[in-house]
Amino acid sequence: MTEASTSWPAKAHSGVEQLGRLSVRTVEELGYTGALLIESLYWIIIGPFKRQPISVPAVFAQMMSIGIAAAPIIFILSFAIGVMLAIQGIHSLKTFGAESQVVVGIALSVTREFGPLITGILVAGRSGSALAARIATMQVSQEVDALRVMGINPVRYLVAPALLAMLVMVPTLTFLADLAGLFGGAVYTSVELGLSYTAYLDRSLAALSVNDLSQGLVKSGVFATIIALVGVSNGFQVSGGAEGVGRVTTRAVVLSISYIVIADMIFTYFLNR
Amino acid sequence: MSYNQRQHEGVSIIELSGEIDLSQSPIARQQILGVIESGQDLLVDMAAVSYIDSSGVASLVEGYQAARKNQRQFALVAVSNSAMSVLSLARLDQVFPIYASVDAYFQQDD
Amino acid sequence: MNATLHQPVIEIDKLVTHYGTTEILHGIDLEVHEGEIMIIMGGSGSGKSTLLRYLLGLGIPTSGSIRLLGQDITRCDADAMYQLRRNMGVAFQGGALLSSLSVVENVMLPLREHTKLDEKTMRIMARMKLEVVNLGGYEDMMPAELSGGMIKRAALARAIVMDPKLLFFDEPSAGLDPVVAAELDELILRLRDAMGMTIVVVTHELDSAFKIADRITVLDRGHILITDTVTALRASDNERIQSLLNRTPSKERLEADAYMDRLTAG
Repeated sequence: MTEASTSWPAKAHSGVEQLGRLSVRTVEELGYTGALLIESLYWIIIGPFKRQPISVPAVFAQMMSIGIAAAPIIFILSFAIGVMLAIQGIHSLKTFGAESQVVVGIALSVTREFGPLITGILVAGRSGSALAARIATMQVSQEVDALRVMGINPVRYLVAPALLAMLVMVPTLTFLADLAGLFGGAVYTSVELGLSYTAYLDRSLAALSVNDLSQGLVKSGVFATIIALVGVSNGFQVSGGAEGVGRVTTRAVVLSISYIVIADMIFTYFLNR
Repeated sequence: MSYNQRQHEGVSIIELSGEIDLSQSPIARQQILGVIESGQDLLVDMAAVSYIDSSGVASLVEGYQAARKNQRQFALVAVSNSAMSVLSLARLDQVFPIYASVDAYFQQDD
Repeated sequence: MNATLHQPVIEIDKLVTHYGTTEILHGIDLEVHEGEIMIIMGGSGSGKSTLLRYLLGLGIPTSGSIRLLGQDITRCDADAMYQLRRNMGVAFQGGALLSSLSVVENVMLPLREHTKLDEKTMRIMARMKLEVVNLGGYEDMMPAELSGGMIKRAALARAIVMDPKLLFFDEPSAGLDPVVAAELDELILRLRDAMGMTIVVVTHELDSAFKIADRITVLDRGHILITDTVTALRASDNERIQSLLNRTPSKERLEADAYMDRLTAG
């Protein structure tokens, strides 16, 4: 009895304490990530004037690794999403006898939602994890320290190029995903409803405004920033050798996908008011 | 660092003096390569060099290589002890033709 | 030459550092003179690696100051630190070569960052340093293709490529076979003699320390036990120093009360 009565408050206490620690840690991490963002932007913008520009080859190398290999898989996934939207759309619109309106539905949901989201999640899984692993490995092997003692700012050398590459490649891949999604929708619609590709294209273009496309692209820019910063901040905060590298890599992927979905919701809410 | 260039019996002599460090060695390099490319033999007189770092030594290496390619003579003259220790660290004392003085160079030529 | 020989190029004054809430270094005072080879010794957990981190400006101490070449690195601004780094070379324990760059590119990295020299000049400089450390001909290999001893030597080449005034070397002989370790010791001596570098070596290897040291400082649990020449160190009657020198486990008197408290705490 006495044991139970003493352990209860202790448990409650540790629960509150854990919650407190967690929130302190979250705030700390947010602050750290924000500082990384500001410092990266500083080097991207001010660096060239201080004769310490970020390395252009490094940016291109990152762009290649983010973009080129991801393009086929993003194309296939987005195509599949387009097909699925067409199937679901036709199925549910049939009830109202408005199957032909499916084109509008596909056009809007692909460009505003699914293109950016599928690209963001895929790049987070492929390149966000690679980024976190690379930085964590460098941290563990003291390469980051070596950069600092050589007077090479690690944010300038490692973070800024990755951020810049993400900011270019994620929107580009998103645009590709938009096209693939629309194409997927067109293929299924033409089979099911006998709508020609040109008619599909015409209707899609009529339904889409510049705003729809740009909304998706703005989102993808935000996703790019999330992927890059969550990847590098987790990488820098590694502890405990090779095992730690695996841990922060997983953490980076889970966190960036979560943040992407949450950011997506918030953005969608505010952009559609 | 400062330098002075003169001719003696058809050979160019560059007299380097002062500190040849990261900021100064590009000037020395340009002088040395300029003489070699104009097709002359070159002596680099280092009597007045108080300090030379590896960028300076690298310039000498580049000059010597260019001279060998153009089949010109290239030699170091009056290398101070401290400069010699920098050279010998990379075993370059066994590579460069080194003479105690300008006179010593012309005497061995005869 | 003699006058400058005694000018301190490293001055550590009452350095206190924390890791989280634990105090690691408890007020370290140390001076290193120009052209001197100073060995920092101590067992694991003595704080020697921590001391090195702070000497390299990789951490912000709780209190105290560290002056390198007259510049207080605990207080100076980023630009001053950047300039100071031109005069500092560091060879890390595991080499810390960037794995994405070849050996020669690694060695050239400080030159690319800090100088506007011609590409050819930089390459020759890097190759010269690789020759100095006996890695001539390995320049195009990637770090992953090198052995442990080669990585350490390549890291040393990168550390000295700018002809720094200050060279820091973390555990030069750890994990190397005795012959390779002895070669590195030889190299450290030659560098000091040829370039007049001030060299700080962190190590736990006694043989190597005695061979190259001008002075040795012994750290123990965040305190300096002694800073003196090899001869004076050997003559010291301090129990913990002797146990370090003779590699015997420390047999200090057990304090019964404190010990019982530790065992039963909580």
